[in-house]
Amino acid sequence: MFEHEDDVIERVIQELRQPVGVDPALDARVMAAIAASSPSQRGVWPWLAAAAAVLVAVGVWQPWSRGSRAEASDTFQFVLVAPQASSVSLVGDFNDWDPARAPMRVAQGVWATAIRLTPGRYRYAFLVNGAEWRADPGAPSARDDEFGTPSSVVTVGGKGS
Amino acid sequence: MIVAALLMAMQVAIQDPRLDRLDPDTRAQVIAVVDSARQAGLPAEPLIQRALEGTTKAAPGARIVTAVRRLAADLGAARTALGNSASAPELEAGVAALRAGAPSQVLATLRSVRRSSLTMALSVLADLVASGVSADSAAAAVLALAPTARDADLVEFRRAVERDIALGAPPSAATSVRVNSGAFVNSMSSDPGPPTRPRRP
Repeated sequence: MFEHEDDVIERVIQELRQPVGVDPALDARVMAAIAASSPSQRGVWPWLAAAAAVLVAVGVWQPWSRGSRAEASDTFQFVLVAPQASSVSLVGDFNDWDPARAPMRVAQGVWATAIRLTPGRYRYAFLVNGAEWRADPGAPSARDDEFGTPSSVVTVGGKGS
Repeated sequence: MIVAALLMAMQVAIQDPRLDRLDPDTRAQVIAVVDSARQAGLPAEPLIQRALEGTTKAAPGARIVTAVRRLAADLGAARTALGNSASAPELEAGVAALRAGAPSQVLATLRSVRRSSLTMALSVLADLVASGVSADSAAAAVLALAPTARDADLVEFRRAVERDIALGAPPSAATSVRVNSGAFVNSMSSDPGPPTRPRRP
């Protein structure tokens, strides 16, 4: 009649447990096939991978950006009293000296803005009405004004401060 | 291939789009200085920022190049004084201290007596000189405080000296009095924690 279910399972298990017969020459044939393949085909991928890794590293590193995104940062408030001004921008080492990137807001003649800074020493100045450079009266002055206009300095301490 | 990829990476670094704001001649000279500095292991960012400052302030190209070259040389001098392990912010602050008149030996001594970052200590030294304190007095004060004072203590010390000067005290006398008062060493025991409001420079 019919074979018992447990017997079938046991027979299948026994079959699966039998060692697989492999041609002893298989390894030799595989290695021979690899050796016969074109060296340029085998060699190009590691090189391409290395080049891609370098480019990705540069992209992540972004050598033109200042500081590390993982670094701790503090928010600093910058203030200038200039009731007669029609515009004031905060420009410095922290925003590539680009007046368009840090326009300040005014309330009753007091111009202010707050920005986050990572540890470092930054030179900066206020650009009033797009033409007049002013140092921050509430901050240390930068002594080496090689470009003939006043600048100030803000320092952000590092870890362990 | 790897060499080519590395050269390409270097080229990407050199072709910083921010430097497109410079005129072509100035840009080429600045790139040469930045490239040399980078190869010497010096930070490139301060050099780029100095060039950008110059062009935003409409300085002549020759003056921008001179300023960038001078800064590169001073960064090298700061590294010599502070050691190869100095961070980029420490080197920048070291340049400020050297330009303020601090001897390179003071920088080396600071490295040996202070375990944490030297950025603030060196900056305070330079800022004190900018306030009228002699380089010798500023260096002596920072060396006295550096072993134990936190960065926040050093900033408070600088502000206290500046207040005294604004009230009429002779700069160097104000510095020594503040150091000898010991107030900035005692404040170390209480950690104020992270600031809850924006700081002021």
